[in-house]
Amino acid sequence: MEMQEVLLNRIKKEACGIIPFAAKTPLLLAVFCLLVFSSMSADAADNENCLMCHKYRQIGRIDEEGKKRSYYVDENIYANTTHRNVPCRDCHTYITKLPHDPITEEVNCANECHIKPPFSKENFSHKKIIEVYNDSVHGIKADDPPELKSAKPHCKYCHLNPIFTRVEEERIAFDKTLSRCLNCHEKKGVTQAYKHITHRLRHKTSRSPQEIVNLCAKNCHQEAEMMKSFNVSEESLEAVETYTRSVHGKSVTLGSEEAADCISCHSTNAIHDIYKKDDKKSSVHAENRTSTCRQCHTNVGDQFARIDVHSKLDPHKKPVLYYMNTGLAFVFYGSVFGLVGLMLIETIGRRRDGIKWQIRGGTTWRGFSKLKTDIKKILNR
Amino acid sequence: MSTPSENIATTSDDVSVDTMTDTLEGEQDVTYVEGVGNIPRDIYKLVKSDPLGDLPRYSYHIVIQHFLTFITFLVLASTGLTLHFSDLWWAPYVISLFGGADTARLIHRVAAFLMVAASVYHLITIIGGTLQKVSKKQFDIKRTQIPGLKDLKDIVHDMKYFMGKENYRPKMEKFMYKQKLHYLAILWGSFVLITAGTSLLFPETMATIWPNAAFFQDLARLMHADEAIMALTVIVFWHWSNVHLVPGRFPLQWSFITGKITREHQIEEHFLEYIRNLKEIPEEKEYMKKVLKENGFETN
Repeated sequence: MEMQEVLLNRIKKEACGIIPFAAKTPLLLAVFCLLVFSSMSADAADNENCLMCHKYRQIGRIDEEGKKRSYYVDENIYANTTHRNVPCRDCHTYITKLPHDPITEEVNCANECHIKPPFSKENFSHKKIIEVYNDSVHGIKADDPPELKSAKPHCKYCHLNPIFTRVEEERIAFDKTLSRCLNCHEKKGVTQAYKHITHRLRHKTSRSPQEIVNLCAKNCHQEAEMMKSFNVSEESLEAVETYTRSVHGKSVTLGSEEAADCISCHSTNAIHDIYKKDDKKSSVHAENRTSTCRQCHTNVGDQFARIDVHSKLDPHKKPVLYYMNTGLAFVFYGSVFGLVGLMLIETIGRRRDGIKWQIRGGTTWRGFSKLKTDIKKILNR
Repeated sequence: MSTPSENIATTSDDVSVDTMTDTLEGEQDVTYVEGVGNIPRDIYKLVKSDPLGDLPRYSYHIVIQHFLTFITFLVLASTGLTLHFSDLWWAPYVISLFGGADTARLIHRVAAFLMVAASVYHLITIIGGTLQKVSKKQFDIKRTQIPGLKDLKDIVHDMKYFMGKENYRPKMEKFMYKQKLHYLAILWGSFVLITAGTSLLFPETMATIWPNAAFFQDLARLMHADEAIMALTVIVFWHWSNVHLVPGRFPLQWSFITGKITREHQIEEHFLEYIRNLKEIPEEKEYMKKVLKENGFETN
């Protein structure tokens, strides 16, 4: 007992060294709360307890094609995604009973979900942007051949979930960002809401330019064979190659956050409204090009807008530049090999005449006998 | 044989070759300097020199300009090449050294600005120095970088010498044909790189200046990269070899720091400039007399 009292007193003395112990209690409580709550996972919207089954890691099957399919949902990851507050069945509407039948339908992003955006009484839906998208060159059209239909990207091709990309701020001006909000939200109250989410939208997308280029190029615009079967123009067949050779592409390849990626030019703030360049709605149509360039470049004139962004030295379209390039190659090899050759001849000649390859000090020439000037001849003159 | 300049007496034309069957072997080339004596053309094989340099060659302005160009060139080349060859495997590693693509682009622009500043500094030095010399009536076009017919003759003469068909190297001025070639290449290269670079940096403004912006922007892209790669290749394989590797210059020519050239080098490649120095510098006269006496040549 005595020992315990002594120890307690010592602890109290030490603890009260700077702040009295009583004053420390709320601080300790706060630390405790922080520890406890931070370790708890955020609550995903799962009132219907779908995770009862889907929480198991091994849940899945081998489908008819022999492919392994996993139906596992990691609660912790899901609780950190954009859709964390959306109940499962808002998207997976075709599930009506439990246990449910095998899924044959795809999720439709144009569905209304039971989430009300701030300052709005209507349920949220991606319908508005999907309408823009369906009208664009990537939207599936009735008269598309079946291969093209299946090749066109759907929402999930680009919008992978979860999105963890960190967004650097201070990029896009306020009014531009706001016009982006209006892609989905009603104008009413959106300005207030904007203040809450500015960090999310300061970039044109939350993806890095590098990721955008990869998404567009990989498995699609890069695949010349596949693109050829869709009857696209010659320029668009080479679009990825010519882009990566342009100053935009080179910078983006090395991780630039400033240089233009594909959608910087090929879409407006609605992002999904990509059209062929002959289409008047396209942001790269000759009439819209000046305003598109103006997103980054100041003082854009008509002449500037005519500069080739996907430039290629083609012998038919740019003969002068093409043959100039060939000529420059000759000049390059000619001067480099010529000068190095000159140096070699020079060195061989000087070596033969008696210069030594050594660290300099005093003289690098050795041997009086090598002197071509004959003393006797001069003296006898 | 090269034609002797007016103020330098030469005896090369008077030497008789009657006793020799091979005329080449018999040719003698000595230059008479008042107060020193007959100086054989190949006396550079006998002189001693300080590796740091014996005779004046560059003013400190030129030394500073070389340093500015040297450093900015390396920075420009390493950032520019990496950006140009962005798809090669090493590019991401090098770019991360500069702190990413955007920072590398900024560094490239800052270095470019410094290099342009160095070029302007150089032009001021050259033009100002020339005007000063003209006003003092000391200007001598033979000592400048301006190429002439003599340089062509020198190349042919030198090639013959390297192949063993001449006894002596040509008598060259302060700047020999190699240096004139390099200097003119740098003048042209800087002009192209600065113009094309301005087009790449300020495409909006330049689009209003060029008569056909679409063509000239493509031309600028082509020329900037091409000219830069050529400059780098020539610097690395020719210039660096010439000042570091070739015998007589190994391991380093110190002129770029000291502004002085070694006696041995100046007599060999800039003989006429050496004669000029010999006439003006009393110590050099004494030294040359001593060398001539030690080796059995006649002196005054």
